[in-house]
Amino acid sequence: MMEARRKFHEELEILEADIQQMGILAEKAVELSVDALVRGDLELAEQVIDQDDAIDDLYISIDKRILETLALQTPVAGDLRLISALIHINAHLERIGDMAVNISKIYRSVRDLPGDAKILAQLQEMGDVVRPMIRTCMDAFARRDLELCLTLPDMDDPVDRLNMGMYKEVAQLASDPRRLDWGLRMNVVARQLERVGDNAVDIAEQVGFLLTGEFREFTDASHEVAPLD
Amino acid sequence: MFRAKDLSVYYGDFQAVRDVSLDIAGNEITALIGPSGCGKTTFLRCLNRMNDLVDIARIEGSVLYHGVDLYDQKVDPVEVRRRVGMVFQKPNPFPKSIYDNIAFGPRIAGFKGDMDQLVEESLTKAALWDEVKGKLKQSALDLSGGQQQRLCIARAIATEPDVILMDEPCSALDPIATARIEDLMRSLVRDYTIVIVTHNMQQAARVSDRTAFFTVEVGEEGQRTGIVVEFDRTEVMFTRPSDKRTEDYVTGRFG
Repeated sequence: MMEARRKFHEELEILEADIQQMGILAEKAVELSVDALVRGDLELAEQVIDQDDAIDDLYISIDKRILETLALQTPVAGDLRLISALIHINAHLERIGDMAVNISKIYRSVRDLPGDAKILAQLQEMGDVVRPMIRTCMDAFARRDLELCLTLPDMDDPVDRLNMGMYKEVAQLASDPRRLDWGLRMNVVARQLERVGDNAVDIAEQVGFLLTGEFREFTDASHEVAPLD
Repeated sequence: MFRAKDLSVYYGDFQAVRDVSLDIAGNEITALIGPSGCGKTTFLRCLNRMNDLVDIARIEGSVLYHGVDLYDQKVDPVEVRRRVGMVFQKPNPFPKSIYDNIAFGPRIAGFKGDMDQLVEESLTKAALWDEVKGKLKQSALDLSGGQQQRLCIARAIATEPDVILMDEPCSALDPIATARIEDLMRSLVRDYTIVIVTHNMQQAARVSDRTAFFTVEVGEEGQRTGIVVEFDRTEVMFTRPSDKRTEDYVTGRFG
């Protein structure tokens, strides 16, 4: 009985370590996808697309083991909250991996079109904010740090603003159909990066739930943040 | 229904339970959980003065039942046990017929009404009537373990109590019989107040409205005394208990 319980808690630790690995892979995928886009590196973009299989495999493996744990160990209290948080965080990280793939695929489809340096710089800036967001929420999880969780919404604000400002930048390209075509796709990239930030905030919310036992949303989609201008 | 205030129970010099304060609400199932020797059964037995039957037992503090001090000298313990029935770990039907098992208590209490009707009602409430209605004159000892336990519940109901205490009522039963008793508890709680001692934490989680976690405190000289650590709504106790000792116990982090 005790031995079975000890193994269960070891399994929880392994699951948590695997989720941290998911976090590292997802963060790396976002970084590489933005690098490939900004630098115009097709090989790197293909690498992001290929390596998503590793994220998906780990996602499925974690999900399967969580289900087994629920069925066999009927976790309660802090263990149950950890399991619940793991289920959500696993799904969020898998989605982040998919968003990196989307960015790489968009780049692949528009790489022959003329681009715009200002928009690329703006996307780079968004990438430079959302990557630390992934790191921060995963660190908050590892350290069980509620205060660190609560910093996520503030980190997310510039991402939302940059995303909302993007369509104006794209509109500037309207005189050249090929550049406009490129720009419209970049608007989708901005949207993907904005979603990465939202997923990081959602992960922080799950950590907040794990630590307090009460679930609450840090930000509310029905209350928009004010645009820059 | 019950209000225990600073209740301590001693067996001779040995303090089995210390300073238990718990409010047990009517028409709810309250589960008492905790490791062996934590005093949960001792506490349960205080609620119908079963500890009176142990010569060396004495209590300090008070237990109010409907606002009346259960241990007041004017209170008749036999009347207490009629109104606060008890079901034990091992089914213990009398070596009599099914019918006489139910009729036994009411007869002693001088019941003057329609005994056949009372037997049928009690067995129906205990979800046993359909299985035994054709063999009421047969020995209760021929029933299965699960049926015997439901018979004991019917027997407790027959004296028209308003509380049923259950001391690990399912620990001798298989999962199907256990599920029947748990279903029965959920239907009985509409009419009765139930307090259950269980070692099966999942059972406490499944059936109870509130859960009290008892534990053993070991004193400087090695004396072991039961105390209440935490008492809250069951869903709180099993998702976000506030005391680390509760957390460690329900998640199996002991020893």
